[in-house]
Amino acid sequence: MTKKRQSGKARGSARPTRRSRRAVPPSGRAALSVATSARRSIGERVAALTQGPLAATEQESDLQKVIAILRNGDEPIPVRLAALQMLQAASFGAPAFEPLRGVYMTALRQVAQDPDAELRQRAFGLLARARDGFAQRRLLEGLRDPQKALVPPEKALQLLAYDIHAEAYPIAREIVSKPPSAVAKREALRLLAADAATAPVFEQILRDKSEAPELRQTAAGALRALQPDRLQAYAREALLDPLENEELQATSLTALTQFGDEASVTGDTSLLTRARRLSTEASDAVKESALQFLDRYDR
Amino acid sequence: MPLVTESIAPSEEDFAALVEVLAAEPRRRGELTDLLREEHPFYNQRGASTTARMRGWVLVGLARAGITDADVPFVLGELDTGIEPRVVAAAARALRSYPRRDAAFAPFVLRAIETIRAHDEPLCLDEYGAYAVAADATTAVGELLETLRWLGAAARGVVPAIEALRARPEGLDRARRRQLDSTLRAIRGDAGAGPTPACCNLAEAVGLAVRPADAREDAAPLAGIRFEDHDGMPVTFTDGFLGHPTIVVFFYTRCDNPLKCSLTVTKLARVQALLEARGLADRIHTAAITYDPGYDRPERLRRYGADRGLRLGACHRLLRATDGFEALRRHLRLGVNFVASLVNRHRIEAYALDARGRVAAVFERVQWDEAALVARAEDLLHESTDPPATAGRPPSRVSRGTTTVPSALAPVASLAAVFFPKCPVCWAAYASALGIAGVQLPYSPWLKPVLVALVLVNVVSMGLRTRRTRAVAAFAFGAAGALALLGSVSGLAGTPVALGGVGLTLAGSLASVRGWRVRRGAGRQVAGRRGRARNPCNLLNQPRPQSSAS
Amino acid sequence: MTVEVQINNSSNPRARFVSWAPSPCRIRMTNSSGAPAPVVSVRLTSTAAPNAGAVVFRAGPAGLFSSSVTLPVPVTGASVPFFVAGRFARSSTNNGDIRIDASVGGTPVGSVRLMVRVRKNANVLTAAERNRFIAALARLNNQGAGRFVDFRTMHTFASDAEAHRRPGFLPWHRAYLLDLERELQLIDPSVALPYWRFDQPAPNLFRPDFLGTSDALGTVQFAATNPLQFWVTDGVQGVNRRPFFDTALQSANVITEAQTLALGAQYPSFRVMEGNPHGSAHTSFGGSISSIDTAARDPLFFLLHCNVDRLWAKWQRQNSRFNPADAAAYDSATANRVGHRLPDTMWPWNGVTTAPRPSTAPGGALATSSTTAAPGPQPRVQDTLDYQGRISPTARMGFDYDDVPFL
Repeated sequence: MTKKRQSGKARGSARPTRRSRRAVPPSGRAALSVATSARRSIGERVAALTQGPLAATEQESDLQKVIAILRNGDEPIPVRLAALQMLQAASFGAPAFEPLRGVYMTALRQVAQDPDAELRQRAFGLLARARDGFAQRRLLEGLRDPQKALVPPEKALQLLAYDIHAEAYPIAREIVSKPPSAVAKREALRLLAADAATAPVFEQILRDKSEAPELRQTAAGALRALQPDRLQAYAREALLDPLENEELQATSLTALTQFGDEASVTGDTSLLTRARRLSTEASDAVKESALQFLDRYDR
Repeated sequence: MPLVTESIAPSEEDFAALVEVLAAEPRRRGELTDLLREEHPFYNQRGASTTARMRGWVLVGLARAGITDADVPFVLGELDTGIEPRVVAAAARALRSYPRRDAAFAPFVLRAIETIRAHDEPLCLDEYGAYAVAADATTAVGELLETLRWLGAAARGVVPAIEALRARPEGLDRARRRQLDSTLRAIRGDAGAGPTPACCNLAEAVGLAVRPADAREDAAPLAGIRFEDHDGMPVTFTDGFLGHPTIVVFFYTRCDNPLKCSLTVTKLARVQALLEARGLADRIHTAAITYDPGYDRPERLRRYGADRGLRLGACHRLLRATDGFEALRRHLRLGVNFVASLVNRHRIEAYALDARGRVAAVFERVQWDEAALVARAEDLLHESTDPPATAGRPPSRVSRGTTTVPSALAPVASLAAVFFPKCPVCWAAYASALGIAGVQLPYSPWLKPVLVALVLVNVVSMGLRTRRTRAVAAFAFGAAGALALLGSVSGLAGTPVALGGVGLTLAGSLASVRGWRVRRGAGRQVAGRRGRARNPCNLLNQPRPQSSAS
Repeated sequence: MTVEVQINNSSNPRARFVSWAPSPCRIRMTNSSGAPAPVVSVRLTSTAAPNAGAVVFRAGPAGLFSSSVTLPVPVTGASVPFFVAGRFARSSTNNGDIRIDASVGGTPVGSVRLMVRVRKNANVLTAAERNRFIAALARLNNQGAGRFVDFRTMHTFASDAEAHRRPGFLPWHRAYLLDLERELQLIDPSVALPYWRFDQPAPNLFRPDFLGTSDALGTVQFAATNPLQFWVTDGVQGVNRRPFFDTALQSANVITEAQTLALGAQYPSFRVMEGNPHGSAHTSFGGSISSIDTAARDPLFFLLHCNVDRLWAKWQRQNSRFNPADAAAYDSATANRVGHRLPDTMWPWNGVTTAPRPSTAPGGALATSSTTAAPGPQPRVQDTLDYQGRISPTARMGFDYDDVPFL
């Protein structure tokens, strides 16, 4: 039996008990009865919601009752989170879900304004992936006016990036130039990677050794998608530059191994010589990527 | 009352207020309709969902004011291909304000129900930008069913389809199923006249605009546009679109409405199949141009087209504009707008261009019929008697310093090109021809062999040019002329033969100068495609588009 | 004297892959000089490295398998059929790590290398297997310009009804995974799609050198050596995935495999697994994988569904549900939506784009394989049930799971 522990990574969700996980799942009627009963413990209600067969129910009324739990601010947060998880699972597997999709969306919009941060964030995530205009508008408002922010700026940027047709590009550019945090800048760059006109910005960041390696790697990935020949040119320079950051060198080697132009790389003796040297003299990550590079090009 | 001009993008609040103003003033109805144009500056740099809010509000305004014939294409377009519940609902509501219940509307309404029912949601249409947080509100399907009820007897033709919907009410909650039943009862019970046989194809009536030859805009503004095709080959507008009718559609690979771009390109594949079946694939070209040239690189274009059954070749291409997209957008008045470099909204648009690159027909907003588009293009094949500028000429790389001259001066230009010595070799060649023919020239012992060599050089250079231009007749004349001249030099033939040789050589030069172009500058030859000659319209062996039959 | 051994009845090196289900093979004399008789007894055995795969033989379509077989091979060059299968629980780890040797009287007369290629638990892959898989997947994605875009497009809201909340959920996803796997095998034939066993902890899967680790925001981090760092979908770089459980120590929030297999012996009762564990596995995370429209943007999605398919395969074996004619093997009613009845072809592979099907069908027919002709370019629902060829040997689809035997 695998040992399970509570972990900080399982934020905001009550883990079902070991006993409830290993028991035979309750029937739909029974599960709903437990889930909706305020007399039952939180653990029992969570287990009934997440371990039972409700996620495949054929009864619209079952889902409507669970939606009511989700909406009800008086319900315990773990129960509401479990209701949300169950409803989202039902979107995958419950025949009864389809007619209630719209009602579910309205419930999510309500929950996106909930006092509980975890509930808000999850609701925003589901709405953002549906490209919901309500969610996008609130997220943008929060970026422009932090007083109105319902999620942190980096999360707002991450969620807005689900819709490349959203209006987030100007604010993302502002955040790149004046980031409230490194992670916000990273998410702003990821969002901007959808805009082909931003390719020069990515090249600039990539070549700027004062930028954090993580941001430069993000820029590398974006440039590869938008202008692969420019990334190949940079990757070559990065490898030949003994002062270049090792993570970037490993990234460059990986990019060339996977997507490099075979004819130009195999004919580039300086590059091959450098890769051979890196395969024996560099850090483990660089060595590994150099060996993969040589395996492809130096046969 | 806010007064906003097109040069100022209003805030959403101001926009909403403007719509209210326009809806209330009958004199300004046209401005309200104008706000539905996708390319309207008010949508520039707006996100897709913002644009949906704005367009939905315009439609709600039109519903209050009452739509006119000018609004019908926009309304039907939303019903035909819309996937945003708010906009579709507003369009359904707007349709009910039309003064006539037309049976041709019913299929559009039904199609919208099929499209939207899987992702419908409660809506607040009566307040700008409001989103429902409660379930007790109208929905897109609700508005559509209400429109069917409004159609009443005019919707009797689609009763079987509505019954099929009732038999399989997937995605419809109990309230909608009840509404569906009552709608059916209302349609059956409506004592009004039933649907009359359609006098015309409504889709074509609202979506098709045809321009007779004397009313077509000159394509000169497009001459400088440069494209890159699905193979990464550069193509100019002039090279790619002149000399033959072309069917052109617009799309982009990141379109998230499967009823628009994905379907457009799929249908273009069917167009290609129709052209091939009728033996027209090398006479009517097709082109799919991306709205998103920065992202839609050749490898993405190729993948997108191939996956939808497009056959790709020199006459049938996917293109991105590497220079001049704005000129294209302006000239064609493309129905598209952008946020950053991303499309935020576009209409369906397909064009039939004539052999001069002029727009002869536009299909827009609603789904176009493949056979109708092919028919329009086929008409263009027969309409012009002017020899096309580049008919049959293989596509070539970009040439510098070429331009087109007015057609009246073209014969003069051609003769001048023939007779004007293009290079020192030409001077010598003419001198050799005249000298060999007996025209008195200053004598020199070395003149004859040098001149013979120059004649041979002339013939060989014509031969090389023929490999590109396939002007076989020109080469034949030139070769015959050279033979005659050489025969005269060697004493095997007399002066008449030599004079005949001169004439044939000159005729060959004339025939090799084809079309109305005058080359400037250094006289740099256009670099053609290397390799063996082939039919440029030989379509690659691509999987045929699969049948659309169920 | 020499013989040629053809695996899957083909001389194509890409056909030299077998699984637990028997593969049809043949042997023929290519050089009969020195043959002692018009018909020569040729003995087939196999050799492999200690941790490599192993195969078994059978002379005919029925009967027991053994570690060797002796076949009468005529000197005329006529082919003699036989069958090869992977020895259960002895799958290969590298391409060609098994060699079949043919001998006559102890003298070698021919050999061929092959691989026992099966879908494995992603948590126990060797480093080489893992690297080959992610390299192939990254190349299929090719920064959003590769063939992967079709697999992403196949699984959106527009096609939702073709694949979800109806009986065809399992068949459709089986065909979908097979299509993807075959595309991966065009890049590297040694690759098989691994599965994420979501009811057990999988610490080796959620690592920077495999499917990545999630930061607090839910942005997945990959090692600098991991080609998935260049993953692009919908024009957006990277993967969003925020686990609601400790991926190093815990399983997803799902019912167990035993509970899943106990849902019922009839297909209608079993397929509620679409809600739990399938839907619950999806929603054990925030991020792309937790919504139908965006799930295929996360590579984990395919490993999740590989396990769903494995559970179906296990249920089929447990209850002998391979025959479409068995009413308990599927839930086929004429009232089902088109695409969910046994004789129906499935979108997008059938190319049908008239309502109620989606309006386009990008990607074309199902990818072919050098090892088998099944299920064909436009598979029907019924073609997906007999994936091991138990009912009809020609229905074998060329894949197996490491813990679901043939016998």
